[in-house]
Amino acid sequence: MKLDPVLVEILLHKLTAITEEMAITLRRSARTTYVKEAGDFGCALANPDGRFFAYPAVMGVSGFLDSNVGPTMACIKDPEPGDVVITNHAYLSEGLATHMPDLHLIRPIFQDGRIVAQAWDFIHSADIGGGVPSSISPRFSDNFQEGFQIPPTKIVKAGVLNQEFLDIYASNCRTPDVNLGDLRAMLAALEVGERRVRELIDLHGVDTFVTVQEDLASYAGTKALEVQKQIPNGSYEFWDYLDDDFNSPVPVRVRCKLTAQDGEVHLDFTGSDPQVEAAYNIPTGGKRHPWLTLKLMHFIYSHDKTVPLNHGMFDHITVTAPAGTIVNPEAPAAVGVRSATAIRLNEALVGAMATARPGLMPAPSGGIMIPSVLVEQEPSTGQRQVMVLQSLVGGTGARAGADGVDGRDSSLANQRNTPIEKTEEEAAALISDYALCPDSGGAGRWRGGTGVTFTVRIARDGSNVLGRGMERFVFRPWGMEGGQPGTRARVVLNLGREDERELGKLDMFRARAGDTVTIMTPGGGGYGDPLDRPEAEVMTDVAFGYVTPEGALRDYGVVIENGDLDADATARLRDERRSGRGTPDRFSFGPERDAWEAVFDDATMTRLNAMLMRLPTSLRYDRRHQLFTAAIPGLTRGMADLAAAVGDTNAARGRLADAMQTLQAELDRGIF
Amino acid sequence: MGGTFTDFVLADLSGESLSFHKEPSVPHDPSLAVEQGLASLVADRGIAPDAIELIVHGTTIGLNAIIQRRGARIALVVSKGNRDVLEIARLRLPSSYDFTEPREQPLVPRDLVFEVSARMRADGSIDTPLDPGEVADLADKLKAAGVEAVAVMLLNSYSSPDLELELGNALRAALPDLQISESSVIWPEVREYERCLVGGLNGYIQPLKSRYFDRLQERVAGLGIGAPIYITANNGGTLSLGTARARPINTILSGPAAGVVASLAVGKAAGTGQLITFDMGGTSADISVCRAGRLEFTTTTHVGDFPLIMPVANVSAIGAGGGSVLWLDAQGLLKVGPVSAGADPGPVCYGRGGEVPTVTDCYVALGIVDPDRFLGGRMKLDREAALAALGKIGEKLGLSGDDAGVATAEAGIRVASAKMATEITKLLAEAGVDPREFSLVAYGGAGPTHANYLAEEANLTSVLVPTAPGTFCALGAVLADIRRDYVRTARQMITAQGGPGWDVVETIMTELQEEAEAWIRTEGDLVGDHGFAVSFNLRYPGQADEIEIVLEDEARQGLTPARLLELFHEEHRRHYGFDEPDSPIQTSTVRVAVIGQVAPVTLPEAAAATPAPTGHRRIRHRQAWLEAPVYDRAALGPGAAISGPAVIDQADTTILVLPGWSATADRLGTLRLTRETA
Repeated sequence: MKLDPVLVEILLHKLTAITEEMAITLRRSARTTYVKEAGDFGCALANPDGRFFAYPAVMGVSGFLDSNVGPTMACIKDPEPGDVVITNHAYLSEGLATHMPDLHLIRPIFQDGRIVAQAWDFIHSADIGGGVPSSISPRFSDNFQEGFQIPPTKIVKAGVLNQEFLDIYASNCRTPDVNLGDLRAMLAALEVGERRVRELIDLHGVDTFVTVQEDLASYAGTKALEVQKQIPNGSYEFWDYLDDDFNSPVPVRVRCKLTAQDGEVHLDFTGSDPQVEAAYNIPTGGKRHPWLTLKLMHFIYSHDKTVPLNHGMFDHITVTAPAGTIVNPEAPAAVGVRSATAIRLNEALVGAMATARPGLMPAPSGGIMIPSVLVEQEPSTGQRQVMVLQSLVGGTGARAGADGVDGRDSSLANQRNTPIEKTEEEAAALISDYALCPDSGGAGRWRGGTGVTFTVRIARDGSNVLGRGMERFVFRPWGMEGGQPGTRARVVLNLGREDERELGKLDMFRARAGDTVTIMTPGGGGYGDPLDRPEAEVMTDVAFGYVTPEGALRDYGVVIENGDLDADATARLRDERRSGRGTPDRFSFGPERDAWEAVFDDATMTRLNAMLMRLPTSLRYDRRHQLFTAAIPGLTRGMADLAAAVGDTNAARGRLADAMQTLQAELDRGIF
Repeated sequence: MGGTFTDFVLADLSGESLSFHKEPSVPHDPSLAVEQGLASLVADRGIAPDAIELIVHGTTIGLNAIIQRRGARIALVVSKGNRDVLEIARLRLPSSYDFTEPREQPLVPRDLVFEVSARMRADGSIDTPLDPGEVADLADKLKAAGVEAVAVMLLNSYSSPDLELELGNALRAALPDLQISESSVIWPEVREYERCLVGGLNGYIQPLKSRYFDRLQERVAGLGIGAPIYITANNGGTLSLGTARARPINTILSGPAAGVVASLAVGKAAGTGQLITFDMGGTSADISVCRAGRLEFTTTTHVGDFPLIMPVANVSAIGAGGGSVLWLDAQGLLKVGPVSAGADPGPVCYGRGGEVPTVTDCYVALGIVDPDRFLGGRMKLDREAALAALGKIGEKLGLSGDDAGVATAEAGIRVASAKMATEITKLLAEAGVDPREFSLVAYGGAGPTHANYLAEEANLTSVLVPTAPGTFCALGAVLADIRRDYVRTARQMITAQGGPGWDVVETIMTELQEEAEAWIRTEGDLVGDHGFAVSFNLRYPGQADEIEIVLEDEARQGLTPARLLELFHEEHRRHYGFDEPDSPIQTSTVRVAVIGQVAPVTLPEAAAATPAPTGHRRIRHRQAWLEAPVYDRAALGPGAAISGPAVIDQADTTILVLPGWSATADRLGTLRLTRETA
């Protein structure tokens, strides 16, 4: 540390307060519901290189701490005082914007002719044009469908608003008033940031201001390294799956190899699947990126709450994310639903850490975030009204020493929900259920958090229910150290009625008046052997309704007679079950993944992906689809019974081997 | 009433005198301290018990019960499908980063949450009526559960209390011993989780508070005092004991609110309404921003783990109190708080076994607080022990020699002040105001000691220190009017021409006013004239946050929609630097406050006295020792003026005046510290 540590502590508070004041300014006057209800926005101060050295402690999105405005600003040839740069371009910004509704603004702060800091903010705007209202759909196969692309551009030039740009922008989104209101709020926040920085420089001098940026980063880095040293030296591998990529039924695999050496961590995502022709790609620029390291950040912070929030926290992490894969796609791959992949990728990272050392991380949460939306049509006027139904998440995973949290999940965006009464203020439909789902949390010594059941009762014919981020319909949130996986997600029409029907993963479902649509989110994974969960805790779970008496018997071996524990029968049953099996597996994935990997094991997949990567980018996706459907002809999207689709494992392996051999032969002939 | 002392103020309505008294609190039987204190106050001042016309009382027992989760065994009844309203809450978890941070414990455990089919639609119509069979069944279950209180929260009942009342009354008939709180009766505002908590918290503390009020009433009557008792409220007003029994939730945050009320009175006498109140005690410091002499309210406060959406005085905790500890993290950065040494063991200098130095130890080390004159000399402090403990931290900071402890103390004060100042800056930003117009009103045991540091750091130019900072909240209680707020949710669009939305809003205002008027007429003979304030939560359609427009009595009369729009545009411009004059505005809630006047207490004038130092104290400031004259507060009569550095002692606090600042006393004896212009 170059500065006096007392001064550093004082400036840490002052700088954090500046970013929080920016966030206050932005949040209060922004207009989109994404800011209003979900807190989907961010503010920070970046150093001249573009990395954040000050970040709000509580406001906005937590996950963008390691973003980098450097590549965006490198596109601006002649920055000058009073400029503000805008972008939403996933590729030119190298993953600063990770999907197109996210508008990012940067205001360089000059002192004595040089940039000494940069104020940044972002919001998830209501709409940026493209193929659907609000601009996000998993089905988009390239990013031209996802809306209006803004390369790094001066929205303000030396203090003068770029009206020509604003006119073009306003013509390219469905909600220009809301969007322009948001931009004003963002610009106001940046002005506050610059003003406060100037005051700070006046008081402490520019040299101190620049030096403290480095001091704070190295301070964070030192603390983070200490925590990372808990990861034993070695290499650890793990992978997880998206159910499919929407446009094809083929599961998407993300793979993470974590190598730790005295706290230094390298994450290698080689072996992850090629980019997809759907909106699941994560643009990262192939460099260290917030969404490749999110769970490491949570790990560090959970173990040391005094780490200041800045880029230094990531100083001892390096990353390999090969180009052309889903973790570093090439333009024009679509990116709208990249969050679904990011969640899965971070769960793979969790798996690698848990492999390194049991207990280091909680089991995975429900692992989904479904913004569900209702579109109703006014019968007389035909006018359509779009309303947020709910942000649906599952429960959190259990960890050594604690059950998961029921029906809530902070792991990606820690959003607030929409009150039922706020939805019903606008909608004719009623929300008839928003409740925890019993038995959905993965059983374990520590129980996974339950998922939720959410039911909307449709009031108007032709109403559409939309949901995206529909995941974990096939592959379960896995359990750790003997803990069981959580249940999977479901969408059901008219649950409990005669005309009940599984809707599977819905993109948009057109319902009739009187229908109910029920969305069930997955439970979090369990931790530790369920037979080790004390009877009293299981009984409490039953009394509270988190676990049913049947679930207690089936999952925990706890016998309940007429509401009371039968201690003897429980002891007998638990002994019997213990003796009837070996040591529990480190990880329990559920039958679907086991069936899948009996055909598509890691070695085969790694080899297959290496082969696919030798194909031209444009050919990979279709060829990959062909290979999998050749091996598993009955593969359909979101199927509940994957094991049945896989059928005879050996036959499937044979078909896969043939298809791969054909591809190998083509590669060998060099026909591409 | 606080944790350590129960404070008393005796006000002579002629404005001749104020008397103060501190009585040690009796934690296991809080009203006993009230009885003892009243008895000695009455005896000391030679007043006949029946000469007392009014007793105003504030207590933290409701708040403490919520924070420590010692409230009633309570059940919750909700509409079908809504059983997990408290489990899921607003979804967001306390920490986005830290997976070890537990979620809040729900106010009502899940096995005491019951569902009924009864349900309302958003427009107040009935979707599913009450099923009498279900109610009978529910009453049996509640009885079997052995609960003391029941909260009722049916979906959409903010738009009409009828269905909740139907259910509540049916339960009252079946279970007459239970205390029942309907959410729509306590606070009919949209958002089921938040409204559920208002009703739930009310029920949670109601049995406890009822018992407490019973004893209090008995004890006061036992002293021969026949005066009515009023209870201080969260909104800076007071309520009759009857109302407080029915709505104890309205009284839980009254302490901080009373401090702000007293600040406004002192500010008014000193000629300013632009105030930042600064109440620094042992464990924390609280501030609030007041503009134009008005108490500001918030509807986004938290009580323990829970949000509270009723309007309460907008007071925020900003961290360090006198007991906050100094410590170094592994990388050698000096931290202050959030851990507090509390009263026991307390700061090192108390000599009660505390080993970790606190902010109070810093004051002693720097020479500001005289170890022999703390609390008027009632408690001797150990300065050497404080210095030694600070010195240990100093060594690790690379400080050495005799002055290591002193230098550490200075660093600790700088860190604590910087933290608090950033919080002030943020709050001022939230309010959209300029710090230079504001005076800091300092009270609480440590407020006057720390105020000048904070004012310097936060670029404030003026500090007011009232005559009795240690019993300031009690003073606020006797200054307060009767006040209660009413709310209605009204999502209406208003244009300058009015339109149908305005008609709805006008009707709501009239109804609320009638309701409020009917209530205040039952609040006691003591209540004189009453007035109303109306406030609207407004925004441009689709905008993120709302702005509250408050209209006091005069502005309220003959309000036109055009005028309301104009006020909103103006306020929006002030907050955000822009407005949209052509846009209509949307209302979300309408609130009416009724304010009933109680015979006003006039703050008495201070006795004239001429300042003469009683001695000198060596105090450390900016790495140098200064000789600071020491004054007795009582000697600073109206017009007295002194220059910093100076220290002013009084029984309940020590006031520091920094170099570059001067202090003058006004006619009430309020000390005003001002920055001297160079």
